[in-house]
Amino acid sequence: MTQLVWNGLFVGSFYALVALGYSMVYGIIKLLNFAHGDLYMLGAFTGFAVLSALGGVPAAMTLPVLLGVLLLTMVSTGLAGVVLERVAYRPLRGAPRLSLLITAVGASFALEYGMRAGAGPDPRVYPVRLSGTSIEVLGARLTLQQLVLIGVAVVLMVGLHLLVTRSREGRAMRAIALDPRTSALMGIDVNAVISRTFFLGSALAGAAGVMAGAYYGKIDFLMGFLIGLKAFTAAVIGGIGNIPGTMLGGLVLGLLESFGTYWLGGEWRDVFAFGVLILFLTVRPTGLLGERVTERV
Amino acid sequence: MRSTQVASLVAAAMLLAGCGQGLLGDGGAAQQDDKAPIKLGMLVPQSGSEAAIGPYMTNAAQLAVDEINAKGGVLGRQLELKAADDACDAQTAVAAANKVVTEGVDVSIGGYCSGATLPTLPVFGKANIPMIIPAANSQELVDQKLKHVFLINGTGTQQAEAATKWITKQGATKVALMHDNTSYSKDIAVRTQPLLGDKAVITEAVTPKESDYSANIANILDKKADFVYWTGYFQEGGLIIRQLRQAGYKGSIMVADGSVSPKLGEIAGAEADGVFATMTPIPDTLPDAKGWIDAYTKKFGSAPGPYSNQAYDAVRLAAEAITKAGSTDGAKVISALEGINGFSMFSGPLKFTPEHTLSAGGFQILVWKGDKFALQDALS
Repeated sequence: MTQLVWNGLFVGSFYALVALGYSMVYGIIKLLNFAHGDLYMLGAFTGFAVLSALGGVPAAMTLPVLLGVLLLTMVSTGLAGVVLERVAYRPLRGAPRLSLLITAVGASFALEYGMRAGAGPDPRVYPVRLSGTSIEVLGARLTLQQLVLIGVAVVLMVGLHLLVTRSREGRAMRAIALDPRTSALMGIDVNAVISRTFFLGSALAGAAGVMAGAYYGKIDFLMGFLIGLKAFTAAVIGGIGNIPGTMLGGLVLGLLESFGTYWLGGEWRDVFAFGVLILFLTVRPTGLLGERVTERV
Repeated sequence: MRSTQVASLVAAAMLLAGCGQGLLGDGGAAQQDDKAPIKLGMLVPQSGSEAAIGPYMTNAAQLAVDEINAKGGVLGRQLELKAADDACDAQTAVAAANKVVTEGVDVSIGGYCSGATLPTLPVFGKANIPMIIPAANSQELVDQKLKHVFLINGTGTQQAEAATKWITKQGATKVALMHDNTSYSKDIAVRTQPLLGDKAVITEAVTPKESDYSANIANILDKKADFVYWTGYFQEGGLIIRQLRQAGYKGSIMVADGSVSPKLGEIAGAEADGVFATMTPIPDTLPDAKGWIDAYTKKFGSAPGPYSNQAYDAVRLAAEAITKAGSTDGAKVISALEGINGFSMFSGPLKFTPEHTLSAGGFQILVWKGDKFALQDALS
């Protein structure tokens, strides 16, 4: 049982990290960025490219090198997110929300098949991998690497939370989320803030991509699709647009999958996860921690 | 009113386009008999979930086409490969089949995903085009008993039998079967389970494209399995092997032919050592295939992958049948294929059973050693 909880929490922390970008972008411009999962894929491939360029890494240096690569990748996927927003979403800012949504799906395919054209359709294997001894805690096997990855995820998420709640930047984001036009009238550069929001969200997805690459080892150009959907589900469960809620949603989804597989069998894992998505959308669309939102018409 | 007009215009345009193509096609066929190239159609996944497989197969087919053309072609005519994307999806596959039929192919040498290949059978059948299917091997392809369909890969039933033989030989008592819910993979798992009887303690299905299978693996460890048989593809297979070992699983692991790829070991890392596989004979285990692997690697800059050798054989077999038939006429090529006896393929000498499947050269057991699969047991 503890093993199930642990597995769920570990997978859930990845979901949470990716879901944050979804949630932030939705929170600020009410766009479901379906290309977000592909930024995770982009991050995994960027990390792969950097590590391959470095050549061999001595075993003792694995962790510091990986952390360095992680930062580098976060910057580059962050920039990719900014470009994506500038090219695909900003020109449609005034358009009906449906066109934005369709553009997002298009952007997702463009990223996937662009990567396939660039890097080839074969799955790639990370040159540096986290693997190591496992320890028993309360009957569950967990590895030091898992702990490190969860640690990194927690640091990133706490950092983001502080940024959004404590800084001027975060205040501007929250203001725009509430009312973009008034924010603009109050002297906030709306476009710049939205750009930076995309940067942050995409950087987190990129970080998750590198972490998944280093832990699981295999990356391919379609790896972002399913995790994109899962991250969306996590965001909805926790409360889309709400940052602590999204983190909680990621963990809850991880646990749901872990227990769903145990109770119902593997083929029901995704049915269970997405079934819960439907349940939340009908019964509690604001999610676990979401506030009541009144739509202004 | 407006919309009906538009609709009838569209319909008229489509009819015209259809007729145009038909007329053009016929005109082409009339001229083409002496010098025009012989066209081989090949439907493989180039996009979608199995996109990685397409290039392995088209490259190998192209290699065979080039070799045959360099030797003067077939019946004095050059071969030409017409590859199309079936995306491992039924609807895309039917559209692609219609496309290559319109392009006037003489023989079809494609077919990887069973689910996508099945609906294309009648399309080629209606056009009287023989099909040599290199990879797709679901029993459903055979059960239709179609005259123009030939399988040069062992079927799911044969693979399940081979797997059972080896599992029994290893003395396993608690076997876990794992599949990925695709037609190919589930076929093998479902056929293996009754053969194993009480020994099959759990069947786990996973979702392809996930990275984390720890939940499924926890269930398998719960049942104290001492043998795991994964019947899906190598991308998930590599992850599953690694995660099984990291979770403390000590028993044997075996994978099916969809997982036989150098990438499996790369993904699994050192944990792949000692993993068994059920597989039709592959270049790596054949002493005389090194030259072929080198030729492929030189031409395409990477080593051949899963089903490269079957695709290569399919082209050679098509050429052989057309030569024997002395014509590209569908009926003649089909009887030439039925008459093939002892044609040398990677999987051994070829002779078709009355069902148009392999009569020999069935499955054998490989084992991953160091950095590649080696022969463990020929199971003969």
